[in-house]
Amino acid sequence: MLNLIKKEIALCMHPTAFIFLFFAVLVFMPNYPYEVIFFFSCLSIFFCCMMTRENGDIAFSCALPVKKEHIPFAKMLVVFGLQCIILFLVGVIGAIKGAVLPAEQYVNQAGISANLVLVGNGAILLGIFNLIFFPCYFKKPDKIGVPFVIGAVVIFLLISVFIVLRWVTPLYSTTLNGLNSENTGAKSVALAIGIVIYAVLSAVSCKLSMKNFQRVDL
Amino acid sequence: MNALEVRELTKVYPEFTLDKVSFFVKQGHISGLIGRNGAGKSTTIKGILRLINAEGSVAVFGKDFLKEEMVVKQMIGYVGGGFRYYPMNTLAAIRKAYAPFYPTWNQSKYEKFLSQFELIENKKVKELSEGMKVKFALALALSHGAKLLIMDEPTSGLDPLSREEFCDIILQLVREEGVSVLFSTHITSDLMRIADDIIYITQGKILAACPLKELLCKYKLAHFSSLADASAVNAIGVKAVKEGYEGLLPRDMQISESIAVTDATIDNIIVHLEKENEEKKHVKSN
Repeated sequence: MLNLIKKEIALCMHPTAFIFLFFAVLVFMPNYPYEVIFFFSCLSIFFCCMMTRENGDIAFSCALPVKKEHIPFAKMLVVFGLQCIILFLVGVIGAIKGAVLPAEQYVNQAGISANLVLVGNGAILLGIFNLIFFPCYFKKPDKIGVPFVIGAVVIFLLISVFIVLRWVTPLYSTTLNGLNSENTGAKSVALAIGIVIYAVLSAVSCKLSMKNFQRVDL
Repeated sequence: MNALEVRELTKVYPEFTLDKVSFFVKQGHISGLIGRNGAGKSTTIKGILRLINAEGSVAVFGKDFLKEEMVVKQMIGYVGGGFRYYPMNTLAAIRKAYAPFYPTWNQSKYEKFLSQFELIENKKVKELSEGMKVKFALALALSHGAKLLIMDEPTSGLDPLSREEFCDIILQLVREEGVSVLFSTHITSDLMRIADDIIYITQGKILAACPLKELLCKYKLAHFSSLADASAVNAIGVKAVKEGYEGLLPRDMQISESIAVTDATIDNIIVHLEKENEEKKHVKSN
């Protein structure tokens, strides 16, 4: 498995997979729907899958001495790793923003502030994208566009839902909004819920993808 | 012990069926899998390597593929018609990712092959000629000590000189390294040069699996002046040629001296057997 992961990183990663990690600094942009940062992470997955197809990587990997179901598993583990990094970076850079900017500049007029809740929301978005994209993709690894478009549409709908919640519910507009130092307990719970949802959805996605990939004829 | 045993390999597609394909490759032998385009050669190889979900069993040096997949894959070197993977990556990057999968990887052997094949590791795959790509695939396959080489049309797209060179390399490998080889091709001249055995597949079915010499000794090519003459002796796959008609006859068949006969080449055998098959299929469908 470790060899497969190393091969993924060496031969299948599109440069955007790493470049888009730096988009975490967008949390410094005033009044911006920060959840969009996580969409870029999804976009980089799309580019990596394109690269996998253009490189004939799946056929190459299947001829290696590995179990067939380990191929999607390794690819997804690498993606999960990158997703965890972007979640971490958004959390850390958001906290830095809170520490260095005045409180009034920290408040986001376009959505939730760059706090722990944003990381939780991001985890939910990524978990849902994983659940939609990967099982579809590993059913037909040559067809990347359709699963990505479905995943992207759902992601933007959810981002809209998060923005609406920020404005219409006191929970999101007051309790979960603003600096991490305010209502830290509630924000930590929102983060934990997001992470649990991400873990569950990604695990289900992984299982479905491995099952679907077993039936693929190359 | 046979290097490869394939039993009743079956794969059903909506418009094509690989129908209970069974054959074996003897240890130290070169077996050519021949047949026209779309006959099922690549499907058979994909079925052997489990790249497709096919029914039937495959054993490599007595080990069942499904039960001992990892061990079996260590013994196989797969060359899928040149090296079509990772065109933008250098050979060195690919080797670095590939070698750790094989505990038996022999770096000095790999370097020896690179030097023998005149390959430069910091070149990108897309910068290699088709012949060089096949050589790189061979270098990878052989440096982990593969005992069985499975190649899917490795000589397609190669010029005659490169094909000749490829055949020389394979012969050398069999003699010096003792590897067994299964390779699919529709270029019969390659088979005449190096193959010990022939597996002839048509429309997803094995029509012949025997030593090359045995197949060549089975038929003779008869030349007829009229179709009636050919029909009178039940010639196989009769077809019109520039001067009269040609068809296959069993070599041991006694015929009149007025019928001219010559030795049949693999090309002759394939062409006439395919023609016979088509006619049978046509009669059946009517």
